[in-house]
Amino acid sequence: MVNAILGTRIQQYRREVGITQAALAREVGISPSYLNLIEWNKRPIAGALLRKIASALNLSPDDLGSMAEERLNATLSEIAHLPSLKDANVERERTSEFIGRFPGWARAMAALAQSEHEATVRAQVLSDRLSNDPYLGAEIHKMLNRMTAIRSVADILVDYSDLPPERRDRFIEIIHEEIRVLSDNGETLATYLDKSVHAEKFLTPADEVEALFDEHGGRFDVIETIAGEISHMLTDLRPLPRRVKARALVDEHLKGPIQRIITDSSQIETTAAADRARQLLTDYAVGAILMPMAAFTQEAKNLRYDIEALAEAYSTEVDTICHRLISIPRGDGFPRFGYLQANASGMIIEKLGFEKLIIPRYAAACPLWVLFRAQQSPEAVIRQRALFPSGDRFVFIARARNTGMTGFGRPRHYVTDMLVTTEVDAGMTIYAPDTASVVEEVGPGCRLCSRQSCPHRVDAPLTQ
Amino acid sequence: MAKRVLLAEDEPNIVESLTFILERSGFEVATTTNGRQALEVAQSDTPDILILDVMLPELDGYEVLRRLRADTRTKTLPVLMVTAKGQREDRETAMKCGADMFITKPFVNSELIAAVEKLAVGRPD
Repeated sequence: MVNAILGTRIQQYRREVGITQAALAREVGISPSYLNLIEWNKRPIAGALLRKIASALNLSPDDLGSMAEERLNATLSEIAHLPSLKDANVERERTSEFIGRFPGWARAMAALAQSEHEATVRAQVLSDRLSNDPYLGAEIHKMLNRMTAIRSVADILVDYSDLPPERRDRFIEIIHEEIRVLSDNGETLATYLDKSVHAEKFLTPADEVEALFDEHGGRFDVIETIAGEISHMLTDLRPLPRRVKARALVDEHLKGPIQRIITDSSQIETTAAADRARQLLTDYAVGAILMPMAAFTQEAKNLRYDIEALAEAYSTEVDTICHRLISIPRGDGFPRFGYLQANASGMIIEKLGFEKLIIPRYAAACPLWVLFRAQQSPEAVIRQRALFPSGDRFVFIARARNTGMTGFGRPRHYVTDMLVTTEVDAGMTIYAPDTASVVEEVGPGCRLCSRQSCPHRVDAPLTQ
Repeated sequence: MAKRVLLAEDEPNIVESLTFILERSGFEVATTTNGRQALEVAQSDTPDILILDVMLPELDGYEVLRRLRADTRTKTLPVLMVTAKGQREDRETAMKCGADMFITKPFVNSELIAAVEKLAVGRPD
């Protein structure tokens, strides 16, 4: 067995055991200077000598090195030679020592390099696709032709005042015709790009799970039906035992159906996404048993969808109520809700059930959303009337809750739950804004926002 | 005598508007809507200037230009190539194929007329 990092390992174990170099050398019958060379990876070691040293250190030869480490060594050597790291002056000759001493860091570095490589490849693929996609090229060419005709004819109408009336009418007709076709072209292109985005595989497990919930409209009828049938088994009225029992009922009666939802969905592709979906669907099922839909919709209507009053009525957390509200059947007489959850860093960690609200996928959302402001006054429900550049009006209802520890001096960590609904639907709830309440101009996020002069802008819009 | 322009473009509304402005600028205009026809007309009844769109049915603009440059009758025919905006490769290919000038869509009329007039200079009436 020849392994470039064996020497470092031998040195490490020898020190741990507390044997001097001289003592170990004597024990295995070599000179201390030769052992020194082995320990500094200057001499290869294998066969009988390796077995002797391993035995002297009370180890098996396999403990001292493995193929995985060989591969790691090769990977790190590759990284050390990357042109982009030229200025870092990586100590290439000490790679084996680095792996031997800091195996965890070495593995982390190799993983980072791998993920950087994958991201670069992906960016190149996307960039290639945009510049070489034949369909995209043809559609853009068609649009440029339309624009050329419109521009040329419009210039004629402006530049030639002596046009005979029939000629003028003909040119106006051309403009009308071209604008109509241009608009069709634009729509085709938008649909194509939209499909392309969906055809692209999701970037994160959260995206896959979000797509699963969207696919079902935020509501899983199979779970609702079974939950409705077994909810009478909850006999204990105390909140905690009820929850524990509900969870046990999910394991007993709903594990299979949940797994089938995941297996049958084309949206869930990765193991990580399947795990996340299982967790969210289990929470969903617990909520469905604790708050069967028929009774819940009635109670929610009676309390005018007041999330705190509902949480009190069901002795549960506000986020559980929010999740339940987004699964209310869609139809007349019920407001439709979406749900967002953000952590203290401003990262949106959950987004369910409201496709009308555009949220940047790869950039920060608008900091003016009450979703982020709510952390300044934890546990209080704050309402925001939000006006988007598109003219869409939403009502945001946000509340930050502590997920950290309680008690003096202990760190608290807040996450914010936010319900989203339209102004019209908000009219059915306790959060209905009156005409006097302030309408705040917000956006989806700087990159997607057209409010050029917004004082809070930190990034240029994509559509300049 | 008015200079003769052959306009090879397959978009009827563009043909209509360009024909109008070229005629108003004093040119005599003939039109074709596909590459093969453009080649035939250019070879049989050589115009003073050819305005040649890149994306033409049957034979694309580059191929038309290559064949024209290989033919002694049309080797020096002034050609204004029309490419699409943003297609840098199109412009490079147009110049390699032997275009004298190029203009990108969408253009303004005055730009096109200026280019055609520039090409017309040096061609005897």
